[in-house]
Amino acid sequence: MTDDDLDRELRTHLEIEAEEQRAAGLSATEAVAAARRALGRETAIREDVRALSPAAAIDDLMQDLRYGLRMLRRHAGFTAVAAVTLALGIGANTATFSVLEAALLRPLPYPAADRLVMLWENVNIPAYKNDQNTPAPGNFNDWRRQSQSYSGMAAIASRAWNLTGSGNPIRISGEAVSSDFFEVLGIEPALGRRFTAADDSAGSERVAMLSHGLWSDRFGGDPSAVGRTLLLDDVPYTVVGVMPRGFAFPSPDDQLWVPIALTPQQLANHGSHFLRVVARLKPGATTARAQAELDGIAAELTKQFPTSNTGVGARVMSLRDVVVGDVRRPLLVLAGIVGFVLLMVCTNIGNLLLARASAREREFAVRAALGAGRGRVLRQLLTESLLLALIGGAAGLALASWSLAGLRSLAPASLPHAETISIDAAVAAFNFGIACVAGLICGLAPAWQAQRTDLHEAIKAEARAASHPAGARARNLLVVAETALGVVVLVGAGLLLRSFWELQHVAVGFESDRLLTFRVVAPQARYDTIQKRSVFLRALADRLNAAPAIKAAAGITFLPLTLSGGTSGVNIEGDPPPAPAEVKFVDFRSVTPGYFSTMRIPLLAGRDLAWSDTLDSPNAIVVSQSAAQAFWPNRDPIGRRMKLGRSIDSSVPWLTVVGVAGNVRQLDLTRQPRPAVYGAGTQNTGTGDVRDWVVRADGDPAALASLVRSAVWAIDDALPITRVQTMDRVRSTATSRERFMLLLVSAFGFLALVLAAVGLYGVTAYTVAQRTRELGIRVALGAAPGDVVRLVLGLGGRLVGAGLAIGIAAALLLTELMRALLFGVGTRDPLTFVAVGSLLAVVAFAASYLPARRAMRIDPVISLRE
Amino acid sequence: MTTMSLRRKHTDRSALVQGTLDMLILRTLLFGPAHGHQIAKHIRHTTDDILTLEHGSLYPALHRLERKGWVGAKWEVLGSQKRVCKYYRLTPTGRKELAAESSHWKRLAAAIARVMTTAPAKG
Repeated sequence: MTDDDLDRELRTHLEIEAEEQRAAGLSATEAVAAARRALGRETAIREDVRALSPAAAIDDLMQDLRYGLRMLRRHAGFTAVAAVTLALGIGANTATFSVLEAALLRPLPYPAADRLVMLWENVNIPAYKNDQNTPAPGNFNDWRRQSQSYSGMAAIASRAWNLTGSGNPIRISGEAVSSDFFEVLGIEPALGRRFTAADDSAGSERVAMLSHGLWSDRFGGDPSAVGRTLLLDDVPYTVVGVMPRGFAFPSPDDQLWVPIALTPQQLANHGSHFLRVVARLKPGATTARAQAELDGIAAELTKQFPTSNTGVGARVMSLRDVVVGDVRRPLLVLAGIVGFVLLMVCTNIGNLLLARASAREREFAVRAALGAGRGRVLRQLLTESLLLALIGGAAGLALASWSLAGLRSLAPASLPHAETISIDAAVAAFNFGIACVAGLICGLAPAWQAQRTDLHEAIKAEARAASHPAGARARNLLVVAETALGVVVLVGAGLLLRSFWELQHVAVGFESDRLLTFRVVAPQARYDTIQKRSVFLRALADRLNAAPAIKAAAGITFLPLTLSGGTSGVNIEGDPPPAPAEVKFVDFRSVTPGYFSTMRIPLLAGRDLAWSDTLDSPNAIVVSQSAAQAFWPNRDPIGRRMKLGRSIDSSVPWLTVVGVAGNVRQLDLTRQPRPAVYGAGTQNTGTGDVRDWVVRADGDPAALASLVRSAVWAIDDALPITRVQTMDRVRSTATSRERFMLLLVSAFGFLALVLAAVGLYGVTAYTVAQRTRELGIRVALGAAPGDVVRLVLGLGGRLVGAGLAIGIAAALLLTELMRALLFGVGTRDPLTFVAVGSLLAVVAFAASYLPARRAMRIDPVISLRE
Repeated sequence: MTTMSLRRKHTDRSALVQGTLDMLILRTLLFGPAHGHQIAKHIRHTTDDILTLEHGSLYPALHRLERKGWVGAKWEVLGSQKRVCKYYRLTPTGRKELAAESSHWKRLAAAIARVMTTAPAKG
């Protein structure tokens, strides 16, 4: 309507003007021409007037979209390549974000979860440092009594039971908790009641809270389960409630909770550290103030109990920080690396678009001549790149959701909520967001070039000569940027690879191949004396060792590399009693005879423990080489005695060294092991009960699984057998986080390498095509093919060289952020940097050699005729 | 505006006029209804050809003023013209706007005139 109105108005204007010009003496034709001249370009006026209407913006957008879609369809090949590249980049980012979101961003499933904290001992003495040490009950008790910052504080101790009675015997894990545990977390049972203070006292603690899962499995989801009885380690417990679906705290494996019922003696014990403590801050209380308060209490406790509490501070950590644990840094590094990959994708697409924009200059010039303003052309370009990115984004979302199953199964156990990694609203929004950002970034270079192009020149210029220095400069800059980004990504991947290789080759001190491991626990209720337990251990060991397929078998309290085990202060007979801060520490384990030979840990002196080490003979121990050196330097350790505990306690038995064994990585692969002490499982050494078994096979260890089951059940068919896995599997679980990182980062690194190659190939090929005529002239004037190749390679080489230099400088700075993720390799590992530089140089050479060869074959006659 | 950026030479001159073009149009309409060609001619004549508008820039301005409600427009036959033209006339709001604009303009012009005519201070 407005258009018609304006047309008519302009027509009238032209008529009046022409009449006046004619009256002034011009011919009819001249008068019309003069009138048109005076009015100016009608299309432009129309554009200006139309732009006043609010509907015009939407109209323009629709027009741009239609036009953009048409362009993308017409250049289907280009569109496909660009969309696939973008899909890979955006998909990788989306998948990474879905992991990050599940682990770091998802709110904890408790009301007012930001006020939930966990309290730890912060132990800092020369021989033992741990800022997340499990608190002793005495410390928990004093913190709870003396602090004001919390509305509730609950103690937790990990437990596991053999669940027998209705159905197969199974091993379940759970927790013993203070009565206000559920109240502190703010979660009501789905069925039944919480624990009461009355439950939480010795003698009346035989009540149990079931997880939703256990209730479904064991009671078929029957509501009348509440009030029924369970047999836990042969002791009857009454079910008082069922927790809602999904509740498991503090461990995701928890299936059952019982009252902890700490005795008055335990509540006064400051030396035995085995609790976890969760607390809820009062409204308005801050972590910082709670920490200050706890610091004061801990300082008082150190004065009061110097033997046990010297160097023992306290630490308040938000529950979120505890749950996220040490995965934040690796995930952020991962996000950074994958972000760089997306930037590389953007530079690649930007380059393609730039080349295409050069070819389209005439089109833009014509559109401008037809009245499209420069703003419209820019908007058109950005609309096209956004469209492209949204197509890539949608494909990337599909790629990401397709990769989720793999991510979930590869995710290490330390990754919180790994099982719930999914494409939810937040992930979808992120996907859309980065697609838009990527679209804008891709469109920047061509838009910038269009801004600088003189359209009037362009419309006159021959299409093939449309290349100009600004475009070439932009393209070269993009290649440099892409190479630099590629260096950073590949150096990151290279360092992780080196680090992983180092981890795989750590000398663990034993031979992990051909070992099968399993856990079987003889419950205290039936095996209530050391004699009874010894009979069971000996029977099982004998039965396993008698099997022809088994070379050797033995038991230990905790397998190495499983982050489990006991640590204690130690006193050496003959040494003056150490000052509280000078106490030495050992890792202690109980083993059965033959453990060292089964594990192929060398016995360096003395003898192995033996079945003849019984309650009637002196307590025998084997110590590690490092213990022998630390406690009896330059002396024969055999026959020396020690006591566990930070101070000499007459109720603790003396332990006599009978042998020295090689050092073993106990807790994990990366930490230097502490001195170790192995007691005999058949004696009262205070080193714990044997529960994990190792079996050395002649052939495939996994094939022994049924054999060990029948061996155990031949002795006691009510014992569940758990954690049946090879030692190699245990070892690989210990590196699952590193493997997960490495796998993702390698994939990203590979993508980066391909992108760098494609990007450089594209620019070199484009340049050769642009300069065919010039190269033809050179050949015609006598340039040898080698000169032409050198010229083309030189161009690529300069760009790559600059990119490498910038990338290496950036990587030298950025890898610092990865320091905590690396093992056995520095952040500036020369091997990695040289390897990455060479790899990129070779790939770059190959990428520009192909176009260079084409340049070499240029026929001067043909190229000049074109 | 998009027309100007395409032809850089016009940009400077139009920009000068741009701020005052609305006021000139409103002022012209104070004498009664006029169509686009009359407005352009009036401005050119009264300024002794100093301000020659590219006629093209007039129409976006007129439509803008119409949108703001400062001028009304109607297709009709008026005066000596024999044809139907789109005549613009001032609305009451346009009249108020013109009063405000012109008093502002006068103050500005007087201030500039004072600066331009003051002799340099001695000493």
